[in-house]
Amino acid sequence: MTTLATSRWLYGLVSVVHYSAVFFCVGTIVLLDLRILGVADRNNALSALAGVLRPWTWIGFGSVVVSGFLLFAVEAGDFAAAAPFRVKLLAILLAVVCALAIDWSVPKWDRAPVMPVTARLVALVSILLWLGAILASVEVPALTGLG
Amino acid sequence: MYDAVLAGCRWLENTPWGVAVRASSWMYPVVLWVHFVGLSMWLGTSLTVDLRLMGVGVRRQTAVELSNGLFAWNWIGFGVAFLGGFLLLSAEATTYVTNTGFRLKLAVLTPLALIWHVVVQKKTRAWTQTGQTSAIGKWGGSIEFFLWISVVTASVGFLLTNAVTHP
Repeated sequence: MTTLATSRWLYGLVSVVHYSAVFFCVGTIVLLDLRILGVADRNNALSALAGVLRPWTWIGFGSVVVSGFLLFAVEAGDFAAAAPFRVKLLAILLAVVCALAIDWSVPKWDRAPVMPVTARLVALVSILLWLGAILASVEVPALTGLG
Repeated sequence: MYDAVLAGCRWLENTPWGVAVRASSWMYPVVLWVHFVGLSMWLGTSLTVDLRLMGVGVRRQTAVELSNGLFAWNWIGFGVAFLGGFLLLSAEATTYVTNTGFRLKLAVLTPLALIWHVVVQKKTRAWTQTGQTSAIGKWGGSIEFFLWISVVTASVGFLLTNAVTHP
């Protein structure tokens, strides 16, 4: 971790991975949520869009976690103590539970004549949690000066 | 030329919204949030279509189906990212414009990537007409993917070297 803390280039490189992967991961998740809500890619089956997006979502998420952990480790103690950082991690954890629930249910929802209310509710909660996670993320440097 | 750019930056900083974002203790992170939310939609849609053109990943939908199905959210994302970015720039334009990463991002890479994005969007159907993506189509998608990653790279470079740090 001292390497990452002292090398601006390495820190920058890990940051590039983190930002790119975050946008890509959150984007693909929210798109599928919007499809469930009936406002994106309506002409194609839910399972078709899920099939295309989900592998990218999880590859993106893996990159986010690895790069995020490296950035966190530079100032781990300070981050762990920061309230917005804890809110961020909690929101992400809950959002991942939503994503897993959606993965699990896509075959079932795909066969339903109308999108079930539960499906729409989980999709909506997922979007709100990601909006919250990003807001908490920008508040970490704003409120604590970290990052 | 640079004088004109600086004059424009000074004008931006003195607009009511530029003054408001700079003076406020909470608006800057919120505007950054808006920028990031828009970018998520923009990159989520654009990169998905690029990767499909490149022929990587699951092929349950064609590049044209994806491009059309995600079209509205693609440009909604752009609009939101643009609005956030414009407000961020308005707050600190004269400082941002002195940063090499920022200059690269706003004057070179973003316009290039944006023009190329529109080309890809217009050509996706032609590039995939035979059911297979043509060699040009694969290059088209790869180039756009690479251009947006380079935009993020310049932005992070800017972020890490920017003279202004916000509270």
